[in-house]
Amino acid sequence: MNAIALADVSKSYGEVLAVNGLSLTMEAGRTVALLGPNGAGKSTTINMLLGLIRPTAGEIQIFGHTPEEAVARGEIGAMLQEGTLIPELTVRELIDFIRRLYPNPLPLDQVLQMADLTDLASRRAGKLSGGQSQRVRFALAIAGAPKLLILDEPTAAMDVESRRAFWGSMRNYAAQGRTVLFATHYLEEADENSDRVVVVARGKVVADGTAAQIKAGVGGSVVGFSLGGQSAAGLDALPGVTGVEITSGTVTLRTSDVDATVSALYRKTTLDVRDLQINGVDLEDAFLALTQSAEA
Amino acid sequence: MLNYIKVEATRMLRNKRYIIFVVAFPVGFYLLYSNLWGGQVDEATGVKASVILMVSMAAYGALAASIMSTAVPWSQERQSGWLRQLQITPLPNWMIIVTKLISSLLLVLPALLLVVLAAVITQHVSLSAGQWAALIPIMWVGTIPFAALGLIIGSLVPPDTAQPLAIIGMFGLALLGGLWFPVDMLPETMRTIAHALPSYDYADIGWEIVAGHAPPASAVAGILGWAVVLCGLAVYAYRRATVRG
Repeated sequence: MNAIALADVSKSYGEVLAVNGLSLTMEAGRTVALLGPNGAGKSTTINMLLGLIRPTAGEIQIFGHTPEEAVARGEIGAMLQEGTLIPELTVRELIDFIRRLYPNPLPLDQVLQMADLTDLASRRAGKLSGGQSQRVRFALAIAGAPKLLILDEPTAAMDVESRRAFWGSMRNYAAQGRTVLFATHYLEEADENSDRVVVVARGKVVADGTAAQIKAGVGGSVVGFSLGGQSAAGLDALPGVTGVEITSGTVTLRTSDVDATVSALYRKTTLDVRDLQINGVDLEDAFLALTQSAEA
Repeated sequence: MLNYIKVEATRMLRNKRYIIFVVAFPVGFYLLYSNLWGGQVDEATGVKASVILMVSMAAYGALAASIMSTAVPWSQERQSGWLRQLQITPLPNWMIIVTKLISSLLLVLPALLLVVLAAVITQHVSLSAGQWAALIPIMWVGTIPFAALGLIIGSLVPPDTAQPLAIIGMFGLALLGGLWFPVDMLPETMRTIAHALPSYDYADIGWEIVAGHAPPASAVAGILGWAVVLCGLAVYAYRRATVRG
């Protein structure tokens, strides 16, 4: 059974279409990244999966149930973008309160340990730093031992070290056969921490696969050189070229066939080519290419 | 649910604002006033002022406790995302508001009982067993309309607005309801307003009980009416606040 199945789901707020016919299925036991720029519809999609927002059209199933049923059965745990804690309660009290709402929660000590909070258990939530609060919110998300863990830009407020530790905790949780879906606009995070990346832009899925497949799908390589004052006319007609960009005298050609493009550059043009550079597309380029074409 | 109530009570008892407004104020004022005027006797009923003041300050403390434990915390929880955190757990929505109401009732008890205790210890107030048995439970359950009012405020406005509204509501109801000084001292129009308020009906039942009378039907009807109206509005406001768009 699929952990998540979205069929042609849309959500509009008045005139604004936040999610536009999004379809997606996700097998149980995988870790999937929902990657997209701000405003792509990631949070709206996540809030619909949690039953906090109702879709305008389409159907959502979580382990074969509606989101509301899945929440009531304790199958979902989530870390939302915003969410402060009750300042007067200690870390232990907060976590214990939430975990007892679930039918089969994790043991309290295990939650504390997995979120690296054992030493902070007696501290009141009002006295925690930003990063520590995030760890408590992660602990609240996993406390009920949910089969599906959803994280909405979980590392937004963290420094580099906290981020590294956070993803360690997440992988640790996922390793126990659970399903994880996380939203991010950090490409690196999607690449390093998921086994499938779903790229969304303008409320639609624009690419779906492993990080490597997504890079490949955007097409090969980038060829760059200094143009100086010479004319750029005809560059877009060279074999293999799929895109031309010129910034302050430097040309960047996106190409699906780097050999043909470079060979033609020397033989079929009269340009004085200097500082030639050839690079593979990294995920960031792939991401930009995908999301920009969706906006065009 | 028991655990949720425990959590709610714990957090309020650790909240300084709650302790000051709700526990320290009424007891402090009772001690002050009863020292000044405690020996006077009300001519109409023959009841000592120390007894009447006990009812007034207990009523104020209970009223303050029920509004303070609901309006601002609830508004903050909505705003800060804690409510969403609860909504994605298996805890049903209706249980959240029922718990809020029950917790607010629990949090009224310290305010109520401490004033009574102060009265008994410092002013040697004594009532018959029957009077105690009527007074305490009625003054306890009688705070339901105020808790509902607090939940309405918390459901409708953000914390910045809920805070002054709760304080205005609390002092307004206390002042106009005759908890700080007798309603008879007010000018005619103010007195008419005062008599229509739930806080007046609420305290009036207490005053009548300590004077050895049965609670007047008009006051009982008044507070029941307010309870129905405010609870209805609270449920409506709560549904509006938690609606899934």
